[in-house]
Amino acid sequence: MQNNNSYIKKDLPLDLRNLGFTLFVGGIILGVITFFLDETRAIFNYLLSFVFIVSIVVGCLFLVALEYVAGADWSTPIRRVSEFISSFIPLLVIIVIPLLFTMHDLFHWTHEEAVESDKILQGKSPYLNTEFFIIRTVLFLVIWNLFYFLIIRNSRKQDKTGDQSLTKKNIIYSAIFIPMFAITITFFSIDWMMSLEPHWFSTIFGVYFFAGSVVGALAAVTLATVLLKEKGYLHPKMVDDHYYSLGALLFAFINFWGYIAFSQYLLIWYANLPEETFWFLARWEGGWIFMSIFLIIIHFVVPYSLLLSQQAKMNPKRLKFVSVWILFAHLIDLYWLIMPQMHSEKSGYFYTILEFAFPIAAIGGLILVFFFNSKKQNLVPVGDPKLDRGLNFRL
Amino acid sequence: MNIDYSRELPVIQGRLSLAEIENLIAKPLDEKPDKKFLIALSISLSLLFIGVLSVGYLFYKGTGIWGLNQPVGWAFDITNFVFWVGIGHAGTLISAILFLLRQKWRTAIARFAEAMTIFAVMCAGIFPIIHTGRPWLAGYLLPYPNQHHLWVNFTSPLVWDVFAVSTYFTVSLVFWYIGLIPDFAVLRDRTVSKIKKVIYSIFSMGWRNSHRNWQHYEKSYMLLAGFATPLVLSVHTIVSFDFAVSIIPGWHTTIFPPYFVAGAIFSGFAMVVTVMIFVRKIFDLENIITVNHLEKMNKVILATGMMVGYAYAMEFFIAWYSGNPFEQFVFINRALGPYAWAYWIMVSCNVISPQIFWFRKLRRSIPVMLVVVILVNVGMWFERFVITVTSLHRDFLPSSWGYFVPTIFDIGTLLGSFGLFFTLVILFTKTLPVVSISEIKAVAEGAQPSHQGGEH
Amino acid sequence: MNRSDKKYGIAALFNSPDDIIQAAKKVTEEGYTKYDVHTPYPVHGMDKAMSLKPSKLGFITLVFGLAGAAIALLFMFWAMSIYYPMIIGGKPFFALPAFIPVTFEVTVLLATLSTVIGMITFFFKYPDQKHPLHDTEYMKKVSVDKFGVCIEVDDPLFNEEKITELFKGLNSESIQTIFHPVEEKQTVLEPKFLGFLAAVAIVVSFGTYVALNKILYTVPFNWMMEQPRVDVQSKSEFFTDGFGMRTPVEGSVARGFIPYEYKGMNEPTVPLSNPLKPTKEVFELGKKKYLSFCSPCHGNYGDGDSRLGENFPKPPSLHSAKAREWKDGNLYHIIVNGQNVMPSYETQLTRDERWAIVYHIRALQKAKNATEQEIQLVKKESVENAK
Repeated sequence: MQNNNSYIKKDLPLDLRNLGFTLFVGGIILGVITFFLDETRAIFNYLLSFVFIVSIVVGCLFLVALEYVAGADWSTPIRRVSEFISSFIPLLVIIVIPLLFTMHDLFHWTHEEAVESDKILQGKSPYLNTEFFIIRTVLFLVIWNLFYFLIIRNSRKQDKTGDQSLTKKNIIYSAIFIPMFAITITFFSIDWMMSLEPHWFSTIFGVYFFAGSVVGALAAVTLATVLLKEKGYLHPKMVDDHYYSLGALLFAFINFWGYIAFSQYLLIWYANLPEETFWFLARWEGGWIFMSIFLIIIHFVVPYSLLLSQQAKMNPKRLKFVSVWILFAHLIDLYWLIMPQMHSEKSGYFYTILEFAFPIAAIGGLILVFFFNSKKQNLVPVGDPKLDRGLNFRL
Repeated sequence: MNIDYSRELPVIQGRLSLAEIENLIAKPLDEKPDKKFLIALSISLSLLFIGVLSVGYLFYKGTGIWGLNQPVGWAFDITNFVFWVGIGHAGTLISAILFLLRQKWRTAIARFAEAMTIFAVMCAGIFPIIHTGRPWLAGYLLPYPNQHHLWVNFTSPLVWDVFAVSTYFTVSLVFWYIGLIPDFAVLRDRTVSKIKKVIYSIFSMGWRNSHRNWQHYEKSYMLLAGFATPLVLSVHTIVSFDFAVSIIPGWHTTIFPPYFVAGAIFSGFAMVVTVMIFVRKIFDLENIITVNHLEKMNKVILATGMMVGYAYAMEFFIAWYSGNPFEQFVFINRALGPYAWAYWIMVSCNVISPQIFWFRKLRRSIPVMLVVVILVNVGMWFERFVITVTSLHRDFLPSSWGYFVPTIFDIGTLLGSFGLFFTLVILFTKTLPVVSISEIKAVAEGAQPSHQGGEH
Repeated sequence: MNRSDKKYGIAALFNSPDDIIQAAKKVTEEGYTKYDVHTPYPVHGMDKAMSLKPSKLGFITLVFGLAGAAIALLFMFWAMSIYYPMIIGGKPFFALPAFIPVTFEVTVLLATLSTVIGMITFFFKYPDQKHPLHDTEYMKKVSVDKFGVCIEVDDPLFNEEKITELFKGLNSESIQTIFHPVEEKQTVLEPKFLGFLAAVAIVVSFGTYVALNKILYTVPFNWMMEQPRVDVQSKSEFFTDGFGMRTPVEGSVARGFIPYEYKGMNEPTVPLSNPLKPTKEVFELGKKKYLSFCSPCHGNYGDGDSRLGENFPKPPSLHSAKAREWKDGNLYHIIVNGQNVMPSYETQLTRDERWAIVYHIRALQKAKNATEQEIQLVKKESVENAK
């Protein structure tokens, strides 16, 4: 039993809670205004924010599971950060509800007349029908919630007891969770994003979303970790070397995202089959061409250069900047995936200032969840047997 | 059995001293080859000989001696190529990627794995060269100024292969050699044979264990590892592009790049485990290449096997989802058509057999893991075979359908590649240290200063 | 190697990594600069203990990596888009997505090779087999499991007693003096090396000669060299007359050639009319072809003043009433068929060219027989056109 006396639990400042509230409530209000101004656009934005949150919070749960399965120790002192972010998962059940009522606006395959006249959509209807779709979404949420509770509960229990068998159990749960995560996140992305264009398909789509989610989750964890450490909320024995691993993982997954994105594009470009290329062509017409090039630059070129050197990966200022940048880039990535399918009669521009309403609410929500968790739980897993080794981690 | 998670597992068991470690690893290089060695070598040389005969006859008569014909224009040649390139990837992963992830346990197996990479890439590189009609004109694949004013087609995945595999071979060789320099110095300093001293001196280039050199050395090792990692991903990605840039159903699917990379790691690790099981026994290295190492590798095999299974599932689902009848047919044909026997071997070996590794006891049992990894190797060979041949033998026009049957020369060439690989491995064990002496010393207990140099 | 009396430095051995870190720190603190630490593997924290500046190797990697990317992209752009562009698979000449894989590989190749070669040659200054530390007891021990420090004589603060005291105080296991090796003239190696070079040169050149001049002409490499095709002006065993080159078979028609239906007849059975429009281009064409083919006999203006000299029969003038009354089709027929001494020009002129010549002849005829009003009209028109 390793109870480390150097960590003292401090309460997070109320300013943080207030910030969270402001962003959340303000975002919701703006979102409602958007809904009245341009219903379709608002619905799509809500979907965008929903997917953004899912990618980050479920991605954080994946990071927790990954640590258990890989037996990594450098991440133990900061594992709680991922756990707190992932504690949004139970709330997903609530925020998905408006989407279940707006499926008709989002998905072409819910329009019965369209399906009747389209043989291809008829072929897909055993999968793309409202009932099965909702059952699947419920199933994903159930699985994510189940593993969230199992793993996080054990982690918190260990704070009090330091019982090593809890680590063993968590390793087993994590090992089972990871393949389930792979499948659920894949079909989640197929259902909620790929089927927005029901004629298009790509086998790598799930992997693409996975790459983006891990990048987003890592960015969120890095940002939170650096901010918390600077303000002294984490374990005092943490050093810049711990940042290095976060920076290195961020760099690695930026590369992975770029690689997956390029593979998908190259193969479809090369074979030049109209049944596949039209999806990319929709993102190359009109104003979307700028968005596509913009995406490559902000999601790959810039973070790659900013994180290339060894020093950069350890530097807290650089990491904070890059994390915020990447979170924005991840949002733009999802925007690029989702919004070209939106055909709103109201507004001709392809983005307006109100586009940021629901994402702001999402960030506010994440902050609030983090804040409320930190009141009851330690920000460092004090009972974890790997904590000491993790704190002593040096390059 | 309860594990104490607060303690890090020792990399080397048995509390060996640095001198003992060095002796253990360097001893086989001084001893004369024994009977076991000669028997093993003669077996692998016989396989190699079969290969030499098959390839010689191939050069003389042409590719007609193989079973290839319309519609199956690629079969054993490409299957073997992808198979061997895939095996090579495990080596780079162990040496480079596990290095970047700071997994100390890689040290015991890194040298051997890198050697396997180089030999596997050599075996792989043979196939693209011999499968052309006039292999002696293989130089045409390289861009050089010629009187036809022709350059290679840089947009062709076959040319990408030329660049990728040759870069991979060069970088792996260089990376391996850099790791060997300090070991050559060790051998130079302990050998009594004059000839060997000259050879080791030349290859160690005058290395004198200076820390000023070690500083640059470590930096270069890190840089090389940092480059080798995306390189290894890119090489098998480019190999997958050979198939995926086409429009053939079953080949043209976007998931091929990560699917092939995961498959490569899967088959590569299986081959490493196969070889390690024998090497550690024969050379008394059981305290350096421990069951913990094998268990970790088996976990990687389980994980990558599941990634491969995920890819199978995704291909199948999206084939149905796409509504493309040709794509749907390919998968039904794979499972139920004339090559169903190959398909089900593939699925049972790749998806089902690694599941045994969920259980700790079985992960750590040598007989069990030997069976599983051999099955995985077989299964992965069949995966490349199934992908290549089933998509070709029945594509769009039923009037063009056919059935490929390998000839004795196809099989002879495959056996020959195994012969080449194992011959090189066996010769390697007698000429170079199979474990990196300086690296393993660095991770022995007590090798590093106890007081970690303070806060930054 | 044999040792001279010239000292290189003083070296001390230590037993544990903690000891060597301490030793390194102390030596640095004391102000020594020309010294080195020797360990069988890199010891953590030694960089800091020796106050070493970070290695600059990364810059070489970056520069050469970027250079590799640039070279690869520029070369492919030049070869595929400028030098010999071909439409492949419907892709643009500069197919950037398709150029990425090769660019990436070349980047990695150049970056890694430059790093390694740079490190070995520039940073290590290897190969270096003559260094004084080679083959010393000190180095042999370090190779196995000891750690050592060696302070060179060249160091400005070098003082043998002080250093020995320092090492004793640091708990060293043994202290030894390292001497420079004897400067061997290496005359033994010179002729051997030259002999080796000569042998290599002979083997390589002989091998190349044999490969390129002999082996490439044997089976199977020579298979494409001897082909059963019939070369120009060579014999053929297939035809009874032995000629390899054959004339086209009876009735062969050249591509783009349409045989004249009324060949050999006196007149076309159906009157032919000029299908071409009387445009400026057609007249230009007609004039050009007339001057090439017709003027040698008929003269530049159709007068029949042949340019071929006195002994050649002069054709009748094309401005005779008879010629002027002939229909266009008759003129065409004569061009294709020939008439009396005039040969057929069927194979020398395409159909359009023949009709264009007909126009030209008509123009010549008009010019020779124009009325005064017509000449005035043309003069006026040409003045107006010149404005």
